[in-house]
Amino acid sequence: MIREIARQEWEYQRDRPFGRLVQLFVARIFRGGGDTDAEGLDLGVGLVLTLLALPGGFVSIFLFDKYGSLLQWLRGQTNVDTLLMAFPDEYFFIVLSMTVTGAIAVWRWDAIFPDRRDHMNLAHLPVATRTIFSANLLAIVFLVGVVAFDANAASCVLFPMVVSASQGSLLFFLKFGAVHAVGVLLSSVFSFLAVFAILGLLMAILPPRFLRRVSAYARGLVVVYLVTLLCTSFVIPELLRRVKGPAPSWALLFPSCWFVSLCQLLRLRANPAMAELAKLCVPGITLLTLFAFCVYAIGYRRHFVQISEIGEGTSVVHAPLPWRWSALEELVLRTPFQRGCFRFVGKTLRRSEAHRLVLTGVAGLALVLASQALMRAFEGMKSAPQAAMTSEALSIPFVVSFLLIMGLRIVFEIPSDLRANWIFQLMLDPDQECEPLARRVILASILPWLLVITFAAYLYLKGPVVAVLHTLVVVTWSCLLTNVVLVRFRKLPFTCSLPVFKQHSIVILISLCFGFLIYAGSTAEFESSALSQPTRMLFLLPVAGVAWYIPHYMGKNTIDIERKLIFEETTTRTVELLRLSE
Amino acid sequence: MLEAVQLTKRYSSLPAVQDLSFRLQPGQVLGCLGPNGSGKSTTVKMLTGLLEPSRGVVRFNGRTIQEDLASYRMHLGYVPEEAHLYPYLTGWEYLEMVGTLRGMSRDRMYLKIDSMLQLFSLHVARHASIGTYSKGMRQRILLIAAIMHDPDIFIFDEPLSGLDVTSALIFKNLVQTLGRSGKLVFYCSHVLEVVEKVCTDVLILRKGVVIAHDSVTNVGKILGESLENTFLHLVDDVDTMNVARDIVEVMKAA
Repeated sequence: MIREIARQEWEYQRDRPFGRLVQLFVARIFRGGGDTDAEGLDLGVGLVLTLLALPGGFVSIFLFDKYGSLLQWLRGQTNVDTLLMAFPDEYFFIVLSMTVTGAIAVWRWDAIFPDRRDHMNLAHLPVATRTIFSANLLAIVFLVGVVAFDANAASCVLFPMVVSASQGSLLFFLKFGAVHAVGVLLSSVFSFLAVFAILGLLMAILPPRFLRRVSAYARGLVVVYLVTLLCTSFVIPELLRRVKGPAPSWALLFPSCWFVSLCQLLRLRANPAMAELAKLCVPGITLLTLFAFCVYAIGYRRHFVQISEIGEGTSVVHAPLPWRWSALEELVLRTPFQRGCFRFVGKTLRRSEAHRLVLTGVAGLALVLASQALMRAFEGMKSAPQAAMTSEALSIPFVVSFLLIMGLRIVFEIPSDLRANWIFQLMLDPDQECEPLARRVILASILPWLLVITFAAYLYLKGPVVAVLHTLVVVTWSCLLTNVVLVRFRKLPFTCSLPVFKQHSIVILISLCFGFLIYAGSTAEFESSALSQPTRMLFLLPVAGVAWYIPHYMGKNTIDIERKLIFEETTTRTVELLRLSE
Repeated sequence: MLEAVQLTKRYSSLPAVQDLSFRLQPGQVLGCLGPNGSGKSTTVKMLTGLLEPSRGVVRFNGRTIQEDLASYRMHLGYVPEEAHLYPYLTGWEYLEMVGTLRGMSRDRMYLKIDSMLQLFSLHVARHASIGTYSKGMRQRILLIAAIMHDPDIFIFDEPLSGLDVTSALIFKNLVQTLGRSGKLVFYCSHVLEVVEKVCTDVLILRKGVVIAHDSVTNVGKILGESLENTFLHLVDDVDTMNVARDIVEVMKAA
């Protein structure tokens, strides 16, 4: 009966313009947006929802080890205060929820507001602009609900289950789960609204010709903030728990502190600072909602209604290459293929929003990890020259180079409007080697400034010998890592379809984590002890030799067919038909 | 009757169209010609109500269209210059959405969509996403979306772009048939031959100003030759043969 009524209502709404518009905007937010038909990072609704739900689920499962009563007993932990133990984890879930939801809002930035394509398709139809406005608003509200629910669904069930495993009480599970759900859902909504308000504000105050450029930087800053927020989960819970007296000003800057405090308040475990912070949640969300709605309305009025008055696209200032750069280019990029494609890759990296966004995220992570390493290096009131020789300080260029090399390698896989790659398909020889080009792009993007900063810093702090040795190791390691990540690379960056999820992708991910620990952690540890006796640095030579030989050997043993330039990532079939009868 | 009265549009004080006036009677097919940047698209946008004129008005049956834009658009069928469609919708879904937004009843809409898709040879691909369509297929979807609600006014902005020969021929005959059946057609194009063949009247724009407006036969007679020669004489001061020769010379230069 109810199903039938719901079906009839759905059919009725589908036949009404407003319902149809809401449906259209929901689809465009999830599956397409922006003024171009570029394929970019369009992953599809199912995959997006799955990816959103994964982090919360995985983290909850990994926590079984911490809360299992048997394991606690084996570790000798008796009379454990479960709620106290769960505090940092709850903070982590709140931060994760904010980061994931915020990242989705940043990713779908262009699709949240109606754009030129919507205007071309809808404005000439007999639909009032306020109907389009309301339909898009409703679609956004729906998106917030879906994202908040999806990103937190797994953690809302699994985390309370894990925490209450040692309690044996259904009531404890339900109470804990309800409070946790309130905290993570509100933080999700807050995060989305905050990004939405920033976007709306930019649309409301900026002239259209500046909007695109400024919004790229704004998105970058939001990504860096979200990464920073995620990284605070290792520090803030402990600091917040120890606060005596009123709430410190730094806690006001992190809304995650407000929501975790709200959870503590609802469980009657809040200290005075937490009680103060918890009071900010409801007014914060209410004000943000009102603000977001107002700037959305102004932005809509300024940009969508008047889109016909706004010229399409922006022009780029063209400056001829200075002769010194031309000479350098001729020296580094040997073939016309390398020169032509290098410029294409460089310009795509600078101008394509999807690529810039991913790189900004990686750069933000590098920045946060580097800052943490720097802070640890100065722990214990060390002087600058003393701190410079700690493994933490020495690891900074390795952390940065590792993440940027990996980031660039990942970004190369993201296509940039595949329909435009016909020019390369038509012109390029399939035997053309893309690996040297990709290597030059990576090294040219990272090495010059990394080399200068590292050398200059260590020359000033520790003198020429240490500066040369450390810089040499950083450069060598960067080159070797670039070689490793480009083994069997046979595509022109951005021109090939997005690789499909492969069975060994998880193995690659785990290898990456281990690789990072060895590359950035172990090397810096070794350097820290060896730089005082420079001859000991020679021990790194065999390691470098092995790291060079393995990719070289793999490249040499690649069969000819696997060297050919590709423009489409095809899946390997699990079962191959031999067709012996044919 | 559709009437443009002294339409003027300025973009930050630069005039795109100046004092454009014409009347479009039922049964009339008015072709709009002009080189790039002459103000054709701005004119089309003002006629569709997408752009508000800086001065002047557009009247439909004696009423200014801005008075009740939604009801004016019920009578309007518009094919824009560029086929910016939603790539994730199928052809059927897109037409269904347009029909719903136009307030068509479901049965009538489905019947029309089905028949139109058959007639425009898109029926086989109706459930494929528009992202996989060729330019011509997208253009045909736009044409169906513009005509399926049986409007009184048709505004076509470069409608033949990307169409194959058969579809283009069908479309040219369609425009003539629409004109004969008493509809108002405003047809913007670069292709002189098509305008010469399908339009009853022609309006030539240059730098936003009307430089000729009469029946196709009369405009063609200005130089006593074809419409093409008249157009080149009125609009372009360049010697096309010389330019072509120069291009080849630059191409061959070492």
